[in-house]
Amino acid sequence: MNTSVNQMPSALIQTWQLGKFELSKRFNSRSGLIALIAFVLVWSIILIYPIKEASNIIMHPSFKDFIASVFGPSTLDQLFKWQVAEFAMFWVAALYLFPLFSIFISADQFSSDKHRGTLRFISLRVSRNSLFFGRFLGQVFIQSLLVLITILATIMLVMSRDTSLLLPSLSSGLVVFIQLVIIVLPYIATMSVLSIFANSARQASIYAIILWVVVSIIISIMNVQFPGFEMVGYLLPGSQLSNMVNTHGLTAFAYVPIPLIQTVIILSIGRIIMQRTAL
Amino acid sequence: MNLIECTQLSKNYSGKNVLNQVNISLKAGAPIALVGPNGAGKTTLFSIICGYISASSGSVKILGESPNSAKLRGRLSALPQDAQLDPDITIISQLMLFAQLQGLSKAAAKHEAMRVLELVDLAQVVHEKPKSLSHGMGKRVSIAQALIGTPDVVLLDEPTAGLDPANAKKVREIVRQQSASSTFIISSHNLDELEKLCDQVIYLENGSLKQSLSIQSKQNVEYLTLVMTETDMQALTNEVSSFEGVINVTTSTDKQMIIEYSHQHGFQLETQLLTLFAQHQWQYKSILKGRTLEDTLFS
Repeated sequence: MNTSVNQMPSALIQTWQLGKFELSKRFNSRSGLIALIAFVLVWSIILIYPIKEASNIIMHPSFKDFIASVFGPSTLDQLFKWQVAEFAMFWVAALYLFPLFSIFISADQFSSDKHRGTLRFISLRVSRNSLFFGRFLGQVFIQSLLVLITILATIMLVMSRDTSLLLPSLSSGLVVFIQLVIIVLPYIATMSVLSIFANSARQASIYAIILWVVVSIIISIMNVQFPGFEMVGYLLPGSQLSNMVNTHGLTAFAYVPIPLIQTVIILSIGRIIMQRTAL
Repeated sequence: MNLIECTQLSKNYSGKNVLNQVNISLKAGAPIALVGPNGAGKTTLFSIICGYISASSGSVKILGESPNSAKLRGRLSALPQDAQLDPDITIISQLMLFAQLQGLSKAAAKHEAMRVLELVDLAQVVHEKPKSLSHGMGKRVSIAQALIGTPDVVLLDEPTAGLDPANAKKVREIVRQQSASSTFIISSHNLDELEKLCDQVIYLENGSLKQSLSIQSKQNVEYLTLVMTETDMQALTNEVSSFEGVINVTTSTDKQMIIEYSHQHGFQLETQLLTLFAQHQWQYKSILKGRTLEDTLFS
């Protein structure tokens, strides 16, 4: 007879185990490594060309006056308050690129495994909650690692220009890291939900594109038709991003509740769907 | 406590009754066969027991617990039909994950993964990825995952479907070996195979339980199945029908005859038959005590 009945780990430990496995799976498989190399190459190009060049331009005092005269004095003024110019540019690029990357990278949380029946092996050993949150946690680990890699690369870029900027770079890097990880959370959560329905990563990505386009259109129409319902716009992950461009360091934390609340809502919906879905 | 208890279990898919008020009570012990034609509801029944899908009505208890109960984890395992491991991750990594999820430490999980792979005679593929295995080997690896932690109940849905005879035989050997520690419930179309492995047989048809019988149960009426080669079957039937104690003689195929007779001590009927064959120079291929599962279910 079975002897391991009373030794089953708690749901939290199983969630952690599944999360860790997702991370190692991503970087131990050939396809995962190819994706990582592609990611590093894309970011290398972004760092070396647009960010490095733009950093040189915004450090020029006349450029600040130029921007103020074109967009107004308070539209992009916070960008010039970054101690390290490279991080100002990295912030703007990463604000839009990481959510985009996270959609595609986390598109296959459940779809392939569900389609193939692999989830059936796991679901006999863990609760559906652990399965759902474990996969989500794994994607958070993966995204955090990718954000960390790009921040370290940005710090190296800064060091190549001025080594005295190490401490400001580290503090900016830490703030940006926390901000970016929080920003991608609702995107990963959305993909957790969509990948339950999709049969493949590609299908989940298509669902994501349709979702964002359709919801954006609905929100735009609602804003025009019902001006009192502007808050509806905050339902869509990323709705705060355009406002966050002109933030600097800790001031960006004012926007943290939006993605966190979105994540909690999306994960709550996903949890219910996972409980009810046929595996 | 019963191993599995289904009460008035029904499942509807878009208005169609796939399982219709099924009542089943199974006890732990020898392997149990789940038989039925395609679409009979076998896989649906397994899926409900495993908690992959929920029943439309009725109840299921496995070891006294509802499907998906935390208390069943590590005690119930399965080889779901057509389910595959992740093709891009090494077999050892996946089996270790399963073992760790069942509460084993990393070192113990590795040991357990190796143990179950050795049970299915596949220790040599431990670092391979599932995509590099043949269909038969993949099936055996999937059976290996079901043996992790020596669960109390193991459900095997079509474990030998699509396997060559050698791999199918290997799977039967694994089930036979592990039957001492786990109760297997096997769904298959291969009645010969189930006959060799199982005692209790559950027969589903159109979502309803048609029969539940024990192959080895002692009854007052017994059967002999004769398979002949060079024989005048009509003459044989006439001769056998005149033997004392013979109740009925039926010819199920060209050369196969089933003799129904009242219980006897010793081998009186067998002796009479062999004497008869010698007298007429009739050749027999086999004399089977009892009936084949196919004849039992479909007679």
